[in-house]
Amino acid sequence: MRRLLLVLAVLVCLGAVVAFQVTRPERAASRPKVFVPSASFFEDFSPGFRTSIADAYYLYMVQYYGEHIKSDGRLDSMVDLVNLVTRLSPHFIKAYQFGTFAMLDARQTPAAYDLLQRGVVANPDDWRLPAMAGFLVYEFGRGEAKDEVAAEWYAKAAAVPGAPAYLARLAATLTAKGGEREKAALMWAQVYADGDEYSRAKAVAALDQILPAEKEARMRALAPLMGTMPGDEFERLVSALFEDFL
Amino acid sequence: MAARDIRRGDAVRQIIAIALNTFRETVRDRVLTVIVLFALVMIVGGLWLGSISLEQQGRMMKDFGLVTVTAFGVIIAAFIAATLVRKEVEKRTVFVVFSKPVSRAAFVVGKFLGLAATLGVVIGGMGLFLFVMTWLVGGGASGMVLAATGLIYLQVLAVVAVVVFFSTVTSAILASMLGLGVFVAGQLSHNVLSLSRLGEGAVTEAVSWVVFVIIPNFNAVDVKAAVVGEMTIDWAAVALWGLYLMAYMVVALGAAAWVMRRKEF
Repeated sequence: MRRLLLVLAVLVCLGAVVAFQVTRPERAASRPKVFVPSASFFEDFSPGFRTSIADAYYLYMVQYYGEHIKSDGRLDSMVDLVNLVTRLSPHFIKAYQFGTFAMLDARQTPAAYDLLQRGVVANPDDWRLPAMAGFLVYEFGRGEAKDEVAAEWYAKAAAVPGAPAYLARLAATLTAKGGEREKAALMWAQVYADGDEYSRAKAVAALDQILPAEKEARMRALAPLMGTMPGDEFERLVSALFEDFL
Repeated sequence: MAARDIRRGDAVRQIIAIALNTFRETVRDRVLTVIVLFALVMIVGGLWLGSISLEQQGRMMKDFGLVTVTAFGVIIAAFIAATLVRKEVEKRTVFVVFSKPVSRAAFVVGKFLGLAATLGVVIGGMGLFLFVMTWLVGGGASGMVLAATGLIYLQVLAVVAVVVFFSTVTSAILASMLGLGVFVAGQLSHNVLSLSRLGEGAVTEAVSWVVFVIIPNFNAVDVKAAVVGEMTIDWAAVALWGLYLMAYMVVALGAAAWVMRRKEF
């Protein structure tokens, strides 16, 4: 009898715990401005664990971005977080790639460009960062020389051993006159081909705006992009862009 | 000469016997099993972290996995090593041991080697598990994970030696705490050196220098950053620092044996 009572008491407590958790009011969104320690603090006090700390902050950064981009749109600490992660782990390419787009969403374009420049210096053997810098300059740059500067970045990326062949073609396309819509489509297609889920979603949205709305015209406009990415990626992009027509 | 050889042979046999006994005793410890299981769960937990990392599963698994191996290795070392000698004294089994012609040094070294074998099995097992996990998740085998695990083992052994020494002069819990403190301080060893170079008075400089020399430099054999491509390793330097850590263990165990010799049992 005593044993049964004990078991019952435990079960009641278990029910209370589960019920409390389930009915708990939804956690309020975290503040858009968070404390981000300086990278040199971690470099000085735990050099052996700096990459682990960078990874922990990287996960936090992804979560912070996801949480705020879907709610208040305020990414006040994004620049600090990205800089912390990339300073602690300067060869963490993904952090530069994700960080660049996150900074653009935070309307910190100059900071995003600085980040990529720093990334290129720290990772001279990687073609993705100069290619991304080329895209950034083309898409968000100002002034007449922007195509030229973007082409220089693509040429720099193409010169890295192992870089895909389409980078050289992009550099050449940019220096040619006219065809602004085609150029923009090419740039975004490249973002789609090399990107993660966030950048792919952005690329699809941008291409949806750039490409003609009419089905046949859109098909024709998409055709030149086929050679700029692997076949299965192209098929995935096509199905994303023709979702509304299905 | 022949008598000395016989005594030396006896000492080796005694060390092996004590080490084997310690190994059997520690490896059967249920607390150890629980800690190891928890560590393996933590390593598998890296999979969950990887799933929210935007295709960086391999990196997250390696990085957090090695941190888990380090943390749990040090915890096991600090808490089990502290009771190695102390338990024998408190249970008075040490009287039985020392009633036979067993030297204090053989006792300390045997205890150390026994726990070193247990930790070899535990850390080696965790390292192999992590290696297989990163292979499955990251899509390729990374020998660096095994190399980093080996160097973590070396650091953990140094912690064991330090804790064994502390356990001969103080209580088990304090010895554990001091051992953990030495591990943390060993991560900051370069900061102490910087302090000694600040030149804020000769006394500060001298004290900082002494502290720098006393604290084991664990950073020098830490290659976790290299596993995720953030560092190039000078293997010759790492090997030298590895020898330094081994010499450090000899000094710590020698000091422990010296303290034990001065005790009355």
